[in-house]
Amino acid sequence: MTNFLQVLILGLILGGVYALMASGLTLLFGVMRVVNLAHAAFMILAAYIAFFAFDIYQVDPVVSIAITMPVMFALGVGVYLLLFRRIEGTERYVEMTVLMTFGLALTIEGLLTFFFTGIFRSTRPSYATQSFFFADLFLPKGQAIATGVSIALLAMLWAFLTFTKTGTAVRATMQNRTAAEIVGVNVRRISAISFGMGMALAGAAGSLLSYLFAFFPSRHWQWVAILLSLIVLGGMGSLKGAILGALTLAVASAFVTDRFGPSWSPITFYLALFLVLMFRPQGLFGKVVRI
Amino acid sequence: MTDARVEPTIEHDPLVNDEASEGQGTLVKRLVLVVVLIAVLGLPFLRSMNGYNYVLQVGLIVLMWVTLASSWDILGGYAGYISLGHNMFLGAGAYFSGMLLAYLGISPFLSAIVAGFFAVLVGGFFGLITLRARGPAFIISTIALVLLVNNLVDNWALSGGSSGLGFPLPPLPVEWLKVPFYYGMAICAIGSVYLSYRIAHSKFGLGLRAISQDETKAEVAGINTRFYKVSAFAISGFFIGIAGALFGYSLSYFRPITFFQIAIAAQMVLSSIIGGRATVAGPVIGAVLIALVNEFSIVQFGATALNIVVTGGILLIVLLFFPQGIVGSLRNAGRLPSFLDWD
Repeated sequence: MTNFLQVLILGLILGGVYALMASGLTLLFGVMRVVNLAHAAFMILAAYIAFFAFDIYQVDPVVSIAITMPVMFALGVGVYLLLFRRIEGTERYVEMTVLMTFGLALTIEGLLTFFFTGIFRSTRPSYATQSFFFADLFLPKGQAIATGVSIALLAMLWAFLTFTKTGTAVRATMQNRTAAEIVGVNVRRISAISFGMGMALAGAAGSLLSYLFAFFPSRHWQWVAILLSLIVLGGMGSLKGAILGALTLAVASAFVTDRFGPSWSPITFYLALFLVLMFRPQGLFGKVVRI
Repeated sequence: MTDARVEPTIEHDPLVNDEASEGQGTLVKRLVLVVVLIAVLGLPFLRSMNGYNYVLQVGLIVLMWVTLASSWDILGGYAGYISLGHNMFLGAGAYFSGMLLAYLGISPFLSAIVAGFFAVLVGGFFGLITLRARGPAFIISTIALVLLVNNLVDNWALSGGSSGLGFPLPPLPVEWLKVPFYYGMAICAIGSVYLSYRIAHSKFGLGLRAISQDETKAEVAGINTRFYKVSAFAISGFFIGIAGALFGYSLSYFRPITFFQIAIAAQMVLSSIIGGRATVAGPVIGAVLIALVNEFSIVQFGATALNIVVTGGILLIVLLFFPQGIVGSLRNAGRLPSFLDWD
């Protein structure tokens, strides 16, 4: 029983971080119908920023979110203006976005490998290796902090989408882009902001990733496959779905790790993806979208 | 992008034999075809050439990429279902034949064709699952598929796990060693281009193009879209599986990451797109171009990381500025030379 609770706790606190990682991805798909295969590549890029900030200036990885978020926001807006604004409204738009982000992910991966080589990195703040203890249970301090930060950021995202005028416009664009444009939403501006926000969330996730997991440039494919599995499970473009998908699968993978060992844990996500595709292709919270 | 694909099929409807416009064009086409075939099949006869084995090795690689890109085009081009997981077939073929060799001593030259059928089976099985999804969810599932297979093979003791599988090369003198591999791959390349040509000019191919245009309409029009898609997925694996068996054998040692890495899928996609998706000649041109550029840059710079940057960068540029690729863009401009027009 203790073991069961322990695994459940470990799964849930990882799930919080996965939820943050997936939220930017699902936001981007919801607003712009962009399937961002480069999301995890941007996360790894942010992890490198956090790594060097820690290595050279001793900036705590959690504090480095204050650097990675604005940097990645600016980068996101730039990428949107440079690449994605040109292809808006073209035929086979979704497919185009997948191919473009695929090219983008390869470019980033190659550049990261070229500059920082392929060796494993991670930041080592003191709390990364400490734990809280409650009776028989333990709670890794670093993961608990990461989950706290994730919840805070997700709450801020929720508040932004619910209470601000821009946030309402973002949600309107998610629901129906054309209708939003008709009622006077500046869809391009919203798109640029959403792209920036999606990337900023990837940036924050990257800062946390830098001390939670060892990373190297080509690791982003595994990450993006995991995150995409999460948002397909939750229903693409649904924030609620992404968060619930993240928690469910993180717990599932924690149990798989406990039972079969860590090398099997990514398989949980892929198998879940295939099960969802077989039995409920639109995902748990998705609408049937015709693209 | 869509228009480029509709119009040619209407203008050059394969079912209507437009005698007037052919004639001289057909002659040039036949001539070019014969010259290319002679060049491909005759290369190993130039034995006095400098660096003979190196040239054959490069030829082998180029022919492999022609096989991969042409096969990818069946699903990714004609049917419009982009797969980022087709390197799975390459690994399936390599491991099928490699394990038969390692454990039972059966030569991959014999088992390669069976490896092709094995790849078709694997494709059919996974196609039934992944092709329940359309659009982005399908693409995502193909990435997950490769990573899943990679993970499984990594953890499977019989396949050597992540440390890989090794076996001896065929007992041939060094100056003859490359020849059987080269001809095997040449058969794959010719076979896959011929397959692509036959599909482009069949009812099956028209059905796939209809799916690519508008799947719901195609379904309403009475096309069994599911059967068509899954068949396309499975058939496209056949020659890739054979190529995998031969290529894996020629390496004499491989690991899961040799085949199940995303860079291979990337090059398939890029070759096909830069040459022109949903055309017969496009993937061939694209594959030769990209494979040679890659070989050149490895020889010159040796840096694989920059190779990935170049692959990604070219993909972005092609998508932004000429998404229809070489063949498609030339056709749109009305300047497609007849020897490239096999659609």
